[in-house]
Amino acid sequence: MSKTTQTNTQLFFSGILNENPIFRLALSMCPAVGLSTTVMNGLLLGVAVLFVQVFSSCTISLIRNTIHPRIRIPTYTLTIATWVTVIDLILAAYVPVAYKALGIFIRLIVAFAIITMRLEVFASKNEVWPSFWDGMGMGLGFLLGMTVLGAIREVLGMGTFLGVDLLGFRPMLFFVLPAAGFFTVGFMMAIFNYSEKIYKRRKGG
Amino acid sequence: MKEIIKITLALTISCLIAGTVMGGVFMITARAKQQSEIMNIQQSLFGLLGYNIHHPAPPGVVLLHVYRYIVEDDSGVCSGYLFPVQHGARAEYGFLILNQTGQFVAQFPVADQAEKLINEADRNTAVQTAAGASKIIRYADDMTIVRTGDQRTAYVLMGKFSGFKTFIHALVALNPDFGINGMEITSHEEDPGLGGEIEKEYFKNQFKGKSFEKLQILTVTRDPLPEDYRQYLETQKWQGRKISQADAAVLGEKYRRADIHAISGATISSTCVTQGVKQLVKNFAYRIALLDRAIQENRIPAAF
Repeated sequence: MSKTTQTNTQLFFSGILNENPIFRLALSMCPAVGLSTTVMNGLLLGVAVLFVQVFSSCTISLIRNTIHPRIRIPTYTLTIATWVTVIDLILAAYVPVAYKALGIFIRLIVAFAIITMRLEVFASKNEVWPSFWDGMGMGLGFLLGMTVLGAIREVLGMGTFLGVDLLGFRPMLFFVLPAAGFFTVGFMMAIFNYSEKIYKRRKGG
Repeated sequence: MKEIIKITLALTISCLIAGTVMGGVFMITARAKQQSEIMNIQQSLFGLLGYNIHHPAPPGVVLLHVYRYIVEDDSGVCSGYLFPVQHGARAEYGFLILNQTGQFVAQFPVADQAEKLINEADRNTAVQTAAGASKIIRYADDMTIVRTGDQRTAYVLMGKFSGFKTFIHALVALNPDFGINGMEITSHEEDPGLGGEIEKEYFKNQFKGKSFEKLQILTVTRDPLPEDYRQYLETQKWQGRKISQADAAVLGEKYRRADIHAISGATISSTCVTQGVKQLVKNFAYRIALLDRAIQENRIPAAF
């Protein structure tokens, strides 16, 4: 992929729908399965990833002409690690509640595939402003995906939503366990693909 | 060759910039982070003693921290206690080393202020300087003695024990007879929805009111939690339709000698917490007796 021809709005929405990191690109499956046990977890991790993605995209886009092509991957990792550390420190200092819930998971963002991938295919080849919108779209797509997964798993597994008791009982307890994350992601992917098919057929016919 | 130098230089510069950014943020946030951690534990501690924003602690109540250290030197392993001492109007800290059977080994004054000793790194340095470089010191745990006037009214133990996967950190409040006044989980990494339920009221409040004698034989039962007991335990959840005080007293009496009901699907976590709390209280009761005796025998003007 060379320089983009899409407008900023298109970039933004493609990250949320057409190229949703979890349901379409199937990247960063590890956190999607492991951490989407509750709405709150999904939301908080989504916000953290959004910030890291946007900041890293902008940084790489700014310095894209000075990066030596042979060492671009170490440079990406270093950039992501810096932003993750900054967010980790700030959360620990000023939002201890969120830090308590996320704890070690924030540090894992360094290894999230989606962020490195966006830096490699997009930010390293485009201007700052499109990179910003691309990062926003991807980050929001991830945030929404995580929140939806979290909602499904929390309601089905624990009968609660955002910690508030909805059902008064637990319909399917195994939904909070890691294995059920795969089922949920799989179902969501199927729904995404199916609705796209229907949409295209309607448009075509 | 030129390429190698270029790459090395580029990477070095990137690392330096990244390091500067991270270091700068750390410098700015370090104090706030430490403060929020201390606040968090302090809040749980006050909550366990029954004080909050609406019911602040009365002025006569004094909290005294006693920090326990493991001290190693050529002669073997000993326990070291760092606690406040009172020299007339001047308050300072003393570091007392006792061997395994509670015999007096050594004593050193520590001149630092209480505020400084809250920070673990500063405290370790202070203790190390006081005890001398020949001894290896390791921080073990922390207990708080609550004094109202001349009476000891409560103890709060801060400890950790192993859970299902990693350590569970907990605060346990005791009355002067070592019965449990309350228990609070400060951090854990149990599975959410299963072992994670240990921090819920219906589990942690089961420990409330267990006497020291009962604690010796306390076990975990897999019987389901009776509904009236659950309502009695979940005081915050049922705040709207509060059960009357008389009812609560009857229920409290009825279940005072009950064993701990395991969380369904998390028997291991439940057992870990029960055994951990038991061990914590047992060890504390033994250690405080040794410490009290040593303080009395050596006429140390301890502040508690």
